Amino acid sequence: MGTKWRRALLEGLLLCLVFFVIFGPISSLLIWSIAIRWYWPHVLPQEIGLAYWKQALGLQRDWAIAAVSIWGAFGTSMLVALVSTALVMTMAIPAGYALARFRVPLKALILLLFLMPKAFPQQPIFVNLLPTFTRWGLAGTVQGVILIHILVCLIFGVWITTSAFKAIPQELEEAARSVGATRWRTFWKVLLPLAAPGLLVSTVFVFITSLTEFTGTFFIGLPFVTTLPMLLYSSSGYNMQFASVIAIVLLIPSLLFMVLIQRVFRPEYMGGIAG
Amino acid sequence: MPDEPSKGGNMPEVKLDGVTKRYGKVTAVDRLDLVVRDGEILTLLGPSGCGKTTTLRCIAGFVVPDEGRIFLGEEEVTRLPPEKRDIGFVFQNYALWPHMTVFQNLAFGLQLRRTPKEEIGKRVREVLSLVRLSGMEDRYPRQLSGGQQQRVALARALVLRPRVLLLDEPLSNLDAKLREEMRFEIRELQRQLGITAIYVTHDQAEALVLSDRIAVLNEGRLVQLGTPEEIYQRPANRFVAGFIGLSSFVEARVASVEADGATLETEDGVRFRVPKGSLAEGQTIVLAIRPEHVEILAAPSEELENVFQAEVLRAAYLGNSIDCRLRLGKWELRTQLPPGKIPSPGEKLWIRLPPEKLILVEA
Repeated sequence: MGTKWRRALLEGLLLCLVFFVIFGPISSLLIWSIAIRWYWPHVLPQEIGLAYWKQALGLQRDWAIAAVSIWGAFGTSMLVALVSTALVMTMAIPAGYALARFRVPLKALILLLFLMPKAFPQQPIFVNLLPTFTRWGLAGTVQGVILIHILVCLIFGVWITTSAFKAIPQELEEAARSVGATRWRTFWKVLLPLAAPGLLVSTVFVFITSLTEFTGTFFIGLPFVTTLPMLLYSSSGYNMQFASVIAIVLLIPSLLFMVLIQRVFRPEYMGGIAG
Repeated sequence: MPDEPSKGGNMPEVKLDGVTKRYGKVTAVDRLDLVVRDGEILTLLGPSGCGKTTTLRCIAGFVVPDEGRIFLGEEEVTRLPPEKRDIGFVFQNYALWPHMTVFQNLAFGLQLRRTPKEEIGKRVREVLSLVRLSGMEDRYPRQLSGGQQQRVALARALVLRPRVLLLDEPLSNLDAKLREEMRFEIRELQRQLGITAIYVTHDQAEALVLSDRIAVLNEGRLVQLGTPEEIYQRPANRFVAGFIGLSSFVEARVASVEADGATLETEDGVRFRVPKGSLAEGQTIVLAIRPEHVEILAAPSEELENVFQAEVLRAAYLGNSIDCRLRLGKWELRTQLPPGKIPSPGEKLWIRLPPEKLILVEA
């Protein structure tokens, strides 16, 4: 009985620690988002209220408060992130499988190619891309922004997906072939379920990367496409309250994904990958 | 028994015809010809890197050979994908699908063949009782012990009643005791079902226990093919004599050939009498001496042949016997003594090497 209690206590403490580490820094965002007046040297705001939240969520319109409705930017962000993620993963899953399983000629080069946009400072790349995008009529459009997000995100998609497939022992596939499953069947019935946790992680990474992408969106999307990060950057510095509101909104999808991951990472899957 | 096609007939069930597989500059399998008869269990035995697993994977269809042809029954399958071959494969690391229960693991192949649901249930239960795992249907692989997982893997291959069962070192991940039990179990199952099986192992004891016939491979080539007795008693060369069973080797020259036998002499002057066979004077030859063929004498004997005085180099107690290394001239002989007093190094023993038990292989 003693050990059981001690264990529960230990787990509780650990959980508190994790929450503190994750949510401690974020708590200042929460305070900022409800601060109406907060001047040095006060530890806590002198006046708090939900004015910035109301304004940001479009529930009120007060010219005295420097915040606009975020719904438009939120919608654009979600649209761009969801479409980019869907497109990236449709490319990344077959590509990752092929890179993990087949002897692809120039494999290293291909993987390096995906890494390139990350290996260079991004600004020169995007500046260089702008004339091309303008020529194609993609500058300042949602399509253009989606395209640039795909470019930025593909690396996470392909790299993580590749290692997710690589982690699955080849024999599991061969066993399926030996009992009569075609390569296609094997992929659906054995490989995909086993790679699911890795693929989910990859999807989450891609989604979050797209959701918070700024540089590419700035160069290609301006001035017609406004996403949440664009709104955040333009208000940060002089308007901590509004910036905090947007920052918290950007956190919500990540928290939802954490819950989702916790549900998907079931022991039988994890056991399979380790074995 | 040519009249019983289901059991030990001579009908070739698997035939390899000049199969060659190269990986870069390494030739893993080198022009291998092999016929596996209907209903027999044949072991591919050899050290690691001898090409035995590659050969098995060629038969399974996981690997396509660079040259040569493979037949299952009448049908050539050299380039047929594995799912069309009607084989069962048991992997060294079991390769059970971790996201499926035991039942789902076994039922998968049957579902692919559109077997009716009731039939699937019946056959899964049948084969599970065959491997003594009844009632384990709903367990996940990770909830089973290594031995149980191995039996599920075996059941998964058997439930489809394949034409050939292929086993790739299936017992090497199990502990020694379980491994020994499973040898007999696999042997029994194979006999009971009369299924043709090819078994890959590097463990010579396993091969001797399990096999109808053993194919000894070395460096991608077939070195010897025969029953366990043939392989053990008449090894084709020094490699086989050293790989299967323990052997001590003595190199000698044929000094003289007489009517009733031949005399060999080593370069340091030790003389052995051996059966004449087809020896020619002056020929160099290697004597392979099995530990159990070294007889210990209480006293020197004038009437017997091949009696020597040997010096004990070292001795190790093994419980049921004593592993003893002797020096005879410059040669080291390994022998097994019955349990008792452990001889100390330097002690002199009288030994006899019965001529008819000595194995002669090419140098």
